[in-house]
Amino acid sequence: MTPSNIPQNRIDQVMRLLGWLVVALLPVYGWAVAQAPTDSVQGVMQKILYVHPPLAYGAYLGFVATAIAGILFLWRGHELHDQLAIAGAEVGTLFCTLMLITGPIWARGAWGPGNWWVWDARLTLTLLLWFVYVAYLLLRSFTEGDERAARFASVYGVLGIALIPLNYWIIDLVGGAMHPDNLEFEQEGSSLGEGMGMPFLLGNLTLFLVFVYLLMLRWRVGMLRDGAVEEPPDGTLTPS
Amino acid sequence: MSAVQLRGEALQKRYGRVAALRGVDFLISSGEAIAILGANGAGKSSLLKILAGLSRPSGGHFEALPETGGAALPRERLRGLVGYVGHATLVYGELSARENLLFAARLYGQRPSRERLDQVLADFALLDVADRRAGTFSRGLAQRLSIARAVVHEPSLLLLDEPFTGLDELSATRLSEQLAAQRSSGRTLVVVTHDPRRASELADRALLLHRGRLCASLARDTGSDFAADALRARLAEVAREGEDAGASSA
Amino acid sequence: MNVALALLWKDLVTEWRSRDRVVAMTVFALLIVVVFQFAWPNREPDEVARLAPGILWVTYVFAAVIGLGRTFATELENEAITALALAPGTRGWIFLGKAGATWVLITLVQAMTAFVFALFFKVDLTIGLVGTSAVAALANVAIASIGTLLSAMSVRSRFREVLLPVLLLPTLIPVLAAATAATATSLAGESLGLAGIQPLIVIGGIYGILCFLLFDFVLDE
Repeated sequence: MTPSNIPQNRIDQVMRLLGWLVVALLPVYGWAVAQAPTDSVQGVMQKILYVHPPLAYGAYLGFVATAIAGILFLWRGHELHDQLAIAGAEVGTLFCTLMLITGPIWARGAWGPGNWWVWDARLTLTLLLWFVYVAYLLLRSFTEGDERAARFASVYGVLGIALIPLNYWIIDLVGGAMHPDNLEFEQEGSSLGEGMGMPFLLGNLTLFLVFVYLLMLRWRVGMLRDGAVEEPPDGTLTPS
Repeated sequence: MSAVQLRGEALQKRYGRVAALRGVDFLISSGEAIAILGANGAGKSSLLKILAGLSRPSGGHFEALPETGGAALPRERLRGLVGYVGHATLVYGELSARENLLFAARLYGQRPSRERLDQVLADFALLDVADRRAGTFSRGLAQRLSIARAVVHEPSLLLLDEPFTGLDELSATRLSEQLAAQRSSGRTLVVVTHDPRRASELADRALLLHRGRLCASLARDTGSDFAADALRARLAEVAREGEDAGASSA
Repeated sequence: MNVALALLWKDLVTEWRSRDRVVAMTVFALLIVVVFQFAWPNREPDEVARLAPGILWVTYVFAAVIGLGRTFATELENEAITALALAPGTRGWIFLGKAGATWVLITLVQAMTAFVFALFFKVDLTIGLVGTSAVAALANVAIASIGTLLSAMSVRSRFREVLLPVLLLPTLIPVLAAATAATATSLAGESLGLAGIQPLIVIGGIYGILCFLLFDFVLDE
């Protein structure tokens, strides 16, 4: 089912539902994080566990959306797909930036004092992904001609998505030298203690839904604003 | 040379918000000589690029059909049958004229003999500068090399975008004669120009574009006046109608 | 395939006649080496030996960025890039020819830089020479491939000098990491084996194939 076949009312309904869900979940999530037991060693900072890892959904899925939409655009040429690529890139960059901002808080918490940045797999990969996002957005804005920009961006999207597993593999292989030596790894989601399961779960669920909602919102805005979609009276969306 | 027919239906070309072509229909048969006339911004170059297989239309339908029948040619095959002359000369300054021709032929998968290259160079009066670096050529020489480069691989279609711009009277007349010669060797000719005199000299049919639409199609043999002045007048009329239509819909 | 050879011939002949890319890249690389000399005054010999692979590869990467910016320079004058876009058949062959010529140039520049580096920093680069050369040759496949594709994209932009490095450097990080590690192994006198060069083969293969396939979309007007 292509988006163009779905009646507008349906999309509106889904988005409204998602929106309300997000609005409902956020305070619950916030409360759960506040209520979670404070860690004896690290204090409140440890609670970043409920925020930093779940942001990964947005950061990584955003680029996946961009890459897949780009491939579809190269294949079919529908402006619809290009708008999804833009949405994925913008929302993804947001989540990726937030990951990098919360990263040092996370690192300090997980690796101990003095370690505001650590070259562990997740942080390194996310930093590299951030640069790919920035490159993607700059490519779009510096290329002359909308159709050419969309085409070039789609090509870079394919390269970027190949980079993610490639980087992971390479870091794994040769990045041994980058791991900090004499540090105790103090905290990780896999060893959740008492009372941490619920906020962690809520964090994952909420931030994932926030990502999906923002993605759809940005996609919709892009399509309406750039005229890719007309809204004829019968309520169905058709690409113009 | 394989005979090919070019067909376009409701062709559109958009560059972001700007629509260069807004629905153009045409049928160009093998061996015809067509002039595409219009003011700046009419969409002439965009149309030519689609015909050359250089760009894909944003909307509508374009196909190149072999006259012997069979399926439409994919863009990669169409490009092999096209010789294109653009605004720029498309030559490499560091290579000599002869090397430029050899390279151009090789891009089309051919390896012409020295005699063949000499022949093409002679046709375009480039023999005495054959081994000089193209970067040193005057405009007239560069223009001739540009066209030589476009025909060295014996294309069925010759597409030229404003080839007479910047040429003095003598060179322009010589060019016109050369194009007529190309035409008589069986090539389909499509020339974009804003000079009605050249259109009248070279073409059997003229497509008049204005603001991305095909406003008129005139042919020499239908009895309508194909002289330069008539074309010029018709062009002005088309432009005026276009403005009026634009003004009234604003 | 003939098209690839035609491009290779054309690029190498043009480069031979003007020598602008090779000179620019080599001078730039040598300057970086000299900069390291002054940025690193109190060095110990064993420090140098340990950090040599990293310094060399950083130098190579930056010199490559300079050189890759000029990949389509000859196509820019007179818009000859349209002539390439007009060529029939699979455009990947055009890519192959251009990337091949770039590979030759980059490898040449690296060899000259390594020679001067060994001289200035008194590092014995003949240890494991076969290994280090193989590493460079393989890494350059990846660099030339991705560089050619991204250069074709950035050449259409007014901001091409800024855009190319921004696009290119993130993609060169895996190459840099793998090449530095393998070069270090080789310079330490240890044998590389298949495991040592495998990452570079994989990266070169992925980049080469992807860029070959994607080049078509980059040439359209």
